[in-house]
Amino acid sequence: MNNEELLSKLKTIISPYVQKQEGLNNLSEDTDFIKDLEINSANLVDVVLDVEDEFDIEIDNDSMEKMLTVKASIAVIEEKLAAK
Amino acid sequence: MIGNDIVDLQLASYQSNWQRKGWLQKIFTTKEQRHIHTSENPNLMVWKLWSMKEATYKVHQNYLSHAPRYSPLDFDCSLHGKVYIHNHTYCVKTETTKEYVHSVAMQYDDNYDSKIMQNDKDLKLRLKQTLAQKIDVNISNIMVKKDKNRIPRIYIDRKETNIGVSLTHHGEYSAFVIEY
Repeated sequence: MNNEELLSKLKTIISPYVQKQEGLNNLSEDTDFIKDLEINSANLVDVVLDVEDEFDIEIDNDSMEKMLTVKASIAVIEEKLAAK
Repeated sequence: MIGNDIVDLQLASYQSNWQRKGWLQKIFTTKEQRHIHTSENPNLMVWKLWSMKEATYKVHQNYLSHAPRYSPLDFDCSLHGKVYIHNHTYCVKTETTKEYVHSVAMQYDDNYDSKIMQNDKDLKLRLKQTLAQKIDVNISNIMVKKDKNRIPRIYIDRKETNIGVSLTHHGEYSAFVIEY
């Protein structure tokens, strides 16, 4: 899976939790889930669970800790996929 | 240093399904999960513990001045108003109504001002008004600015102060706390 496919899958996952549509339209690697998309912090765990389901990976606490931006989330997904 | 967090219970029930498989396990320790399952009101317990963790996260992040992190599981809540994170302990006070849960976390059991508002659009202005009155400064000389870690700082006459503040907003409710 290339970076573009990953980004597009991630975009689909986060969409239902986004409260600032403008941020989603300008989605890039630097997008911050809380600052730019206003995702509620209690919904970040839903993002993590959805990512686990979509990619069939397990995200431990240490990895979850980093998943606050698009870039960091893609890095975590890539790392977990490679370890499969 | 001080942190606070408010949960609009109606919005929370619409926004989050904490009964979703794996949800509780990602956020709460096994001891906390036990508190939730044995509680007379599990839903309220979920949001009470969540707001304790969020409020504590804000003080702790401020104290260590680290970049934002998402590790709610690391914050270990007791039901006696203490939250432990690594080897730090914080005092947390929680107020619960039918509409909201509000938690205030501090390093020490100190004095603070707290205000909870419903449908108020200008939280920062309310904070400045309260502060202006309390420390007898003209409101136009007070500025609230977030630092690089998104922690709010109070400036008076353009000089940074060490007045601890925290702001929170969820749904219809917003709140702030000021530590003196």
